[in-house]
Amino acid sequence: WDDDEDDGEGLDDTDDLDPAAERAAWKLRELVRVKREREELEKIEKEREEIERRRAMDPELRKQEDMEYVKRQHEEKMENRGKMG
Amino acid sequence: MAHLADAKALLDNRGHYTGQTFHGVNPLLLVEKIIRERIFESLYWKEQAFGLNAATLLDRAVELTYIGGQYSNQRPTPFLCLTFKLLQLQPSREIILVYLNDPDFKYLRALAAFYIRLTWSAVDIYRTLEPLMGDYRKLKVRGMGGWRMTYVDEFVDELLTKERVCDIALPHIKTRAMLEDADELEPRESLLGSEVESEGESDVEEDKGANSGDE
Repeated sequence: WDDDEDDGEGLDDTDDLDPAAERAAWKLRELVRVKREREELEKIEKEREEIERRRAMDPELRKQEDMEYVKRQHEEKMENRGKMG
Repeated sequence: MAHLADAKALLDNRGHYTGQTFHGVNPLLLVEKIIRERIFESLYWKEQAFGLNAATLLDRAVELTYIGGQYSNQRPTPFLCLTFKLLQLQPSREIILVYLNDPDFKYLRALAAFYIRLTWSAVDIYRTLEPLMGDYRKLKVRGMGGWRMTYVDEFVDELLTKERVCDIALPHIKTRAMLEDADELEPRESLLGSEVESEGESDVEEDKGANSGDE
């Protein structure tokens, strides 16, 4: 089955050639992951807060906020009209 | 059943399947049809994966030198073939854990991790695979675009966060945050432990320097 000579184009998967550097590289990856996890958590928290805020709001104010949002959306749409292509 | 020469016999397309199901389906269907066909057609499958059982599969798994899905002319990698073999054999949890915890063969560990991600329940997946995030051994990956290098921890992270790994669509599982909310999991403790809090930007820079020196 193994008819191709290509065994990895010089990629070397030998471990512990330079333990300190390998560990440092891992540490960096792990830090990035921890950061990503925290950011995701923050995003979820923010969303929850926003929901709570909206729930607690006076219905009139909430409606007003919605209308403003829709208006802004509409304006943006009008601005972009005809610009594509 | 494993002695059948034609593995297609395991996939009864008339809807008759009495074996164990994972995520409510015949485990072999976790690999999509076109890739299944390519596995059955591949020489590795015919020559090397024929008649394996949970013990003899080890002989093949320790010979693995790279992971990946399909490569060059959409040929399935041995890694993918053995994953499919595992789905057919459905070894017990204990056996899979022995594969996973073997200290010497990193590709065997990757294979077991992949199988666990495909077949176990969400909570078990997180509990079993997350401890491997501290394993920074190198893994070669072969894909359609050629070769690249990854690490056991990165591979595990992909298994836990991506939808598609090694050309297989992973079964949908709840995210970690959802399981934490449902009190089914404790928040993940990074293997860096207390270092995370105390480390500042300067340390990150240092790591970057060390990293580039590594390449």
